[in-house]
Amino acid sequence: MIKLLKLEYTKFKNHSLILILLMLYAIFSTITIFLGKEIKDLPDFLPSTAFLYKFPSTWDYLGFLGSMMSYFFLGLIAVFIVVNEITYKTFRQSIISGLTRKEFFLSKVYAITAISLAATIWYFLSGMLIGLTHTTGLRMSDIFDGGWVLPRFFIMVMGYMSLGLLIGFLIRKPGISLLFYLIWGFALEPGIKWLLTYKVINHGVVRLLPVNAMEDLMPLPFYRFADFIPDQGLEFEFLLPYWQAGLASVFWIAVFLLLGYRHFSTKDL
Amino acid sequence: MAVLEINNLSKSYGKNKALDSLSMTIEAGNVYGILGPNGSGKTTTLALILDILKADSGSYSWFGDKMGDHFRLKIGSILETPNFYPYMNAPQNLEIVAQIKNVDNVDYDALLETVNLAHRKRSPFRTYSLGMKQRLAIAATLIGDPDVLIFDEPTNGLDPQGIAEVRSILKRISGQGNTVIMASHILDEVEKICSHVAIIKKGKLLATGPIGSILNNDITIEIATSDISQLKSVLSTKSFVKNMTELPDWIECIVDEQIDVTEFSKEMYNSGVVPTRLVARKRRLEEEFLEITNNA
Repeated sequence: MIKLLKLEYTKFKNHSLILILLMLYAIFSTITIFLGKEIKDLPDFLPSTAFLYKFPSTWDYLGFLGSMMSYFFLGLIAVFIVVNEITYKTFRQSIISGLTRKEFFLSKVYAITAISLAATIWYFLSGMLIGLTHTTGLRMSDIFDGGWVLPRFFIMVMGYMSLGLLIGFLIRKPGISLLFYLIWGFALEPGIKWLLTYKVINHGVVRLLPVNAMEDLMPLPFYRFADFIPDQGLEFEFLLPYWQAGLASVFWIAVFLLLGYRHFSTKDL
Repeated sequence: MAVLEINNLSKSYGKNKALDSLSMTIEAGNVYGILGPNGSGKTTTLALILDILKADSGSYSWFGDKMGDHFRLKIGSILETPNFYPYMNAPQNLEIVAQIKNVDNVDYDALLETVNLAHRKRSPFRTYSLGMKQRLAIAATLIGDPDVLIFDEPTNGLDPQGIAEVRSILKRISGQGNTVIMASHILDEVEKICSHVAIIKKGKLLATGPIGSILNNDITIEIATSDISQLKSVLSTKSFVKNMTELPDWIECIVDEQIDVTEFSKEMYNSGVVPTRLVARKRRLEEEFLEITNNA
């Protein structure tokens, strides 16, 4: 495992686009939350924007921000580290140099696991910093409210990146893979969910679609207020309970990785 | 000891049968040339035995299956074009190969010296000419001192100088006790470097064995004299002349291996022929190759 991780690091430590995406993620997933300080007209039920930065609610807001930013920046990295190797044909070079197909695939899985872990640590550190500097009269028990934020965050990022990996392995063409990945999360899956809900089955099971389940691990906290639920006429709770979102996400991660591996291990390269 | 055994390997692309039940054995220490016209299945064969392509049927086994799925760690190969990370320089790209092969402390300077790339080692791969890319690929095959080297059309697409450089490198590194498998459609290349050949066409193996056994021992003699028609009639009476072809300036004939040049000259003098030109040479691989592939 160490060998494969080191190999991935050697491959991409000089790749400027990936470094830029990582940096942009690190910046935007934290500082964007301070845009909240610029909001002047708050809805009646919100006394101030302090809740954005206070324990424990800051975890929810920072987590939702991380969800959007990681789908975009980190998911794209997952697509990139696969399609790059296909475009440069270096995946063939890796295989003929001696990696087995399984090792090559695992090196990508380890890479996205490491990045997801790093993003979770970044989330923890920035959350602690923001919370500690904005919470008055802090008690230790207030820091986390028992919502398992760190594992939820990790599974969410891992889920997005697994989807990116699968799309990279299946589509192989850089432009189309990147576009399809973005369209899937931002338009296609929401569209499918909408169609299913209003035309086929108005039931909570539609929430188990992959990106929806992963998003529900770190949902927009405002959805907890009835006024913010976007669609009326639903015959189910808008958000999945965390445990269901978590199980569904782990299921999808397994499906994505197994499909990707099966495809890569049996195909002509 | 057999390094590689191939049993009835077949591969189709759609309706096109690229490889049709190919079997061959490659022994340790041989320098093996796989010869065939373009599109005959050479690259397909190499890609199959390196697990880049999946065979439709048949099997192969490296090193008596002792290495399992890790057999490529002991093989250095070039398959089609050189593929490296365009944004990395030579040592960085070689470092990736060294990591894959579990080799530490590679002397990259010496390695790049071997393939005449030392002067450009700090430039990113994307700035290299095709010849330089190919030489970097050759350097990559040498990492970890592998038991087997595989070269697929190593001089394809290079300019004359590039071809000369790559050939001299290949000559230097083959025949050092390692096994070499080289696919080529350039006969001259194979003839100069290889000890064994396999000739394939349309995915079928036509002939295989030591180069000496493919090349029979008949000699080709080019002969000219002032009176060509007399020469022709004399030659046609000699039983040791197997075949003759009239060329613009001389007659080329294939002569039985029992007769050497001295005897041939004597026969000519005794029949009243005084040659103005007499050249004897071994049959060239090109001639055998054309004969074998045309008869197939």
